[in-house]
Amino acid sequence: MEKINIICVDDQREVLSAVSKDLSALSDLFQIEECESADEALELMDELDAEGQHIALVISDHVMPGKTGVELLTEISDDNRFAKTKKILLTGQATHQDTIAAINRARIESYFEKPWKADVLLATARTLITEYIFDQGLDYQPWSEQLDNAVVLSRLH
Amino acid sequence: MREYFKYLLPIVIPLVVLLLPASAFPVEGLTILQQRVIALFLLAALCWVLEPIPIYATSVVIIVLELLLLSDKGIALFRSGAGSPEFGELLSSSSIMATFASPIIMLFLGGFFLAMAATKYRLDVNLARVLLKPFGSNPKYVMFGLMLITAIFSMFMSNTATTAMMLSILAPVIVLFGKDDPGKTAFALSIPVAANIGGIGTPIGTPPNAIALKYLVGENAIGFGEWMAFGVPFVAILLVFAWVLMCAMFPAKQDKIELSIKGKFLKTPKAIIVYVTFAATILLWLMGSSHGMNSYVVAMIPVAVFSATGIINKEDLKKISWEVLWLVSGGIALGLALDQTGLAKLMVNSIPFDNFSPFVVLGGAAALCLLMANFMSHTATANLLMPIMAALGMSMSSLVPFGGGVTLILVVTFAASLGMSLPISTPPNALAHATGNVESSQMAKVGVIIGVVGVLMSFIMVWILNLVNFI
Repeated sequence: MEKINIICVDDQREVLSAVSKDLSALSDLFQIEECESADEALELMDELDAEGQHIALVISDHVMPGKTGVELLTEISDDNRFAKTKKILLTGQATHQDTIAAINRARIESYFEKPWKADVLLATARTLITEYIFDQGLDYQPWSEQLDNAVVLSRLH
Repeated sequence: MREYFKYLLPIVIPLVVLLLPASAFPVEGLTILQQRVIALFLLAALCWVLEPIPIYATSVVIIVLELLLLSDKGIALFRSGAGSPEFGELLSSSSIMATFASPIIMLFLGGFFLAMAATKYRLDVNLARVLLKPFGSNPKYVMFGLMLITAIFSMFMSNTATTAMMLSILAPVIVLFGKDDPGKTAFALSIPVAANIGGIGTPIGTPPNAIALKYLVGENAIGFGEWMAFGVPFVAILLVFAWVLMCAMFPAKQDKIELSIKGKFLKTPKAIIVYVTFAATILLWLMGSSHGMNSYVVAMIPVAVFSATGIINKEDLKKISWEVLWLVSGGIALGLALDQTGLAKLMVNSIPFDNFSPFVVLGGAAALCLLMANFMSHTATANLLMPIMAALGMSMSSLVPFGGGVTLILVVTFAASLGMSLPISTPPNALAHATGNVESSQMAKVGVIIGVVGVLMSFIMVWILNLVNFI
């Protein structure tokens, strides 16, 4: 079976663990990776991609030392290799301008404000991963128990 | 009102031809079926030139009309006179339908699979990155490198896909040029020119080549490797000419240029299967028939390998350019009708071509083809001209000392790829024009010069091929 990854990026360990915990329902079928900086995330993505693995979703904080989350997500959206990767910005400190850049340049699929609701984040992650699987033309069945059924039905129609 | 002409003409003119009495035609012994084929041919020509509907749709319409009007399973009303000599012999419906799966189509399908897998596993971009390195940073040589790589890729990928890829590599570089630097034009224009020229190099480089193969059968058959043996040198020489021409016309003011392409070769098992299959298929093609398989059979190998390994999945299958395959099928079906009803022979025989000098015929055919290819699809041009050229080449005895029908077909095929003087001539030209760095007049100058020089070169090429007794 193809390996599908979810990458979480935040410079604060405890936030990172909290996000992972909220997504733990997905961890049986998908690999959840934690990165503490944008550069670490890019390096990891490069590696995973070279091994032929999929990166379905990147969930990133905005304010971090080094590259910001919006810069990271913009780079990902400009990279042909990750053209279909879904992106979530999860932040409490983005300015109005940052938000505009996140939508216009990073083309994020979803925006979460801290503190976030665990069940909503999990549901959104499910929806986006399902869309990724169909966008890539993968067979959805091996993962079907963790996918968003509404998306599956509309894509099969 | 002029807007309506493109819809009216393709309907009215074929209908009039269809309804005229047979005696209205200045040809002896025209059968009813042949008259219908004339109407169909006019319909195809008008639709491909005026484009009231997409060109692949015209192809499908031709195939269906052939099934309805000319086949042994067509509408009963149109079969009522069958059997009598003045009606003509009905075509078999299964052979008309088989044009959708003609060996030529399979050859292209194999080519599509190779190109798709190479793109999906980034073989194309990674090869471009490695191959561009030795060309340094002098704009002149970088441009030559880009043209060379574009030409090589377009021998195996579609000219449009190659152009799109190379222009996207080029986009960040072109921005760095000064506002009035002619180098911008040279770079943007070099890509479609190289792609159009490169397509000539192999039978799968561009559809007109494959259509030509359809008519090069029996003792005139040309293998994949044989085609490349004359196609590649032709491409190489014309490419160098085009490079010199564009360097002289649009000299770059900037003295340094850096291309940066990110990424590395994938080393996953699937990627390795792609590399091996790609290399093996091309090798088998180049080996000719020494292994017993012809190029059409070889083309099916990557289709099976990539499907079985999931390298091309069902989502990728949907992205295959089926419309290109349909466009070619329609051409083959048209050729089939012209040939099987005997119309092609009848037309050629009723015009005293033998009285013309073979040079006039060769030159006239090439000029007509080049002109048409500039204004309409290269494939549609080949679809219309090739069946006629094949019949003409077979019947003209004065052509024999010059290589006969093969000479005529090759010259016309090459001319079909050399129509590149307008943004509408080919999709690669349109892409380059859309970058905003090339004006139509600049494209026209370069395109006309390369077109005319290319056609003259193709004459020299067939002359040499004839000298060495290849044709």
